[in-house]
Amino acid sequence: MKWAAVLGITFIFVCMALFEWPKLGRGSKKEKIIFLSLSVIGWFLGSMLVFFPNPPGPTELMDGIFKPLGKLLEK
Amino acid sequence: MIEKGKISAFQLALMMNPTIFATALLLVPAITAKHAEQDLWLSPIWAAISGLLTVYISCKLNKFYPEKSLIQYSEQILGKIAGKILGLIFLLYFLHLNGIIVREYGEFVVGTFLNTTPMNVVMGSMLLVCALAVYGGIEAIGRSSQIIVPVVSLLFLVMTLLLVKDLDPKKLLPVMENGIMPSFMGSIVPSAWFSEFILMAFVLPLLKDSGKAMKWGVLSVLSVMFLLVITNLSTYMLLGKLTIKDTYPVMVAVRYISIADFLEHLEAIVMAIWVSGTFIKISMFYYSTVLGMAQWLSLSDYRPIVLPIGFLILVLGHWAAPNLQSLAHFLGTSGAFYMLTLQLGIPVVLLCIAWIQQKFQQKKDGGQ
Repeated sequence: MKWAAVLGITFIFVCMALFEWPKLGRGSKKEKIIFLSLSVIGWFLGSMLVFFPNPPGPTELMDGIFKPLGKLLEK
Repeated sequence: MIEKGKISAFQLALMMNPTIFATALLLVPAITAKHAEQDLWLSPIWAAISGLLTVYISCKLNKFYPEKSLIQYSEQILGKIAGKILGLIFLLYFLHLNGIIVREYGEFVVGTFLNTTPMNVVMGSMLLVCALAVYGGIEAIGRSSQIIVPVVSLLFLVMTLLLVKDLDPKKLLPVMENGIMPSFMGSIVPSAWFSEFILMAFVLPLLKDSGKAMKWGVLSVLSVMFLLVITNLSTYMLLGKLTIKDTYPVMVAVRYISIADFLEHLEAIVMAIWVSGTFIKISMFYYSTVLGMAQWLSLSDYRPIVLPIGFLILVLGHWAAPNLQSLAHFLGTSGAFYMLTLQLGIPVVLLCIAWIQQKFQQKKDGGQ
């Protein structure tokens, strides 16, 4: 089932690439590289969350940093 | 310039209204009521001060660096490397915040209406619509807000009018029982929302009539303040201390509407109001992130990165919190300071540095 989710994520990216690639053809190489690297980051994060749901994320990090101030509003 | 479209200052004011109001309507009244109790209607008035300050800062910075957005002039103010790092911090922040907003939307829709729909489907379909709006550019967002915002505000006021007969003004007494402090504490979270006006710093270079930006920005802040005061007043006059207990007090209040056993179950209208407002809100954040990212990487067009960033926002929305309770707790405590630091604190510092640099420059030019 989890592999199916990863397959679904991959499918979304294939659709995105099919939609975007013809338009990128005219553009420079830089745009293609950035499109691909952002997609790879997204695919990687998405697949990671399929296998490890709810790892500590950015929210926990910021919660840790701003905790001393946040205590003011604790009630 | 990456974006070729132009909008008017009036459209900007219309766009910024739901950008603050759409989610402030949901979780914020309960959080405010927790601190301010019966004085909760005063809190948005204090909070509006931070909104006015943010509008002033973004207009002032825009005057120093016209044609440039927040990401671009932070590079000019702080120098190449520090500016790039600050730009990246802003971009990651807006990605994260947009994830949180999308998650709030998903939790609300799944929690109140579509109980069995997977959250990712709800969030993903909204992001797809917003991606199309962002693809259309700032003009598309501006025009859609011109259509949506007046209707939404009118419907919202009608909702409040329908509640009038059940309201009990005595619940608001005594006014300022424990002095001004409780209402002030309650205003910290709304002021974090008001500081989202910093998104103006991305859109100001695209204005046709940037001379009117300040005026319309202030009017936009005041309109949000007015709507929030009305929301808080009517919710508290209806529910009293129960406002604190509910996650979405406004939704509970609207479910209460019943006129002549005929006008009932109006929550579907609130939902429609809310979904269209959030559409503008998410599009604004999405657009600013994408435009900022394109400027940060100095691309020639922002469109190629719209879809991959949309997926990143979806992932961050999924990742934002394990459940609604911890999300509401985060937004009610440390989240408020997180937002205030990045949306108000850092821009104030940037403005001070830019101002000092400008003074030095003038002295140098005067001396020669």
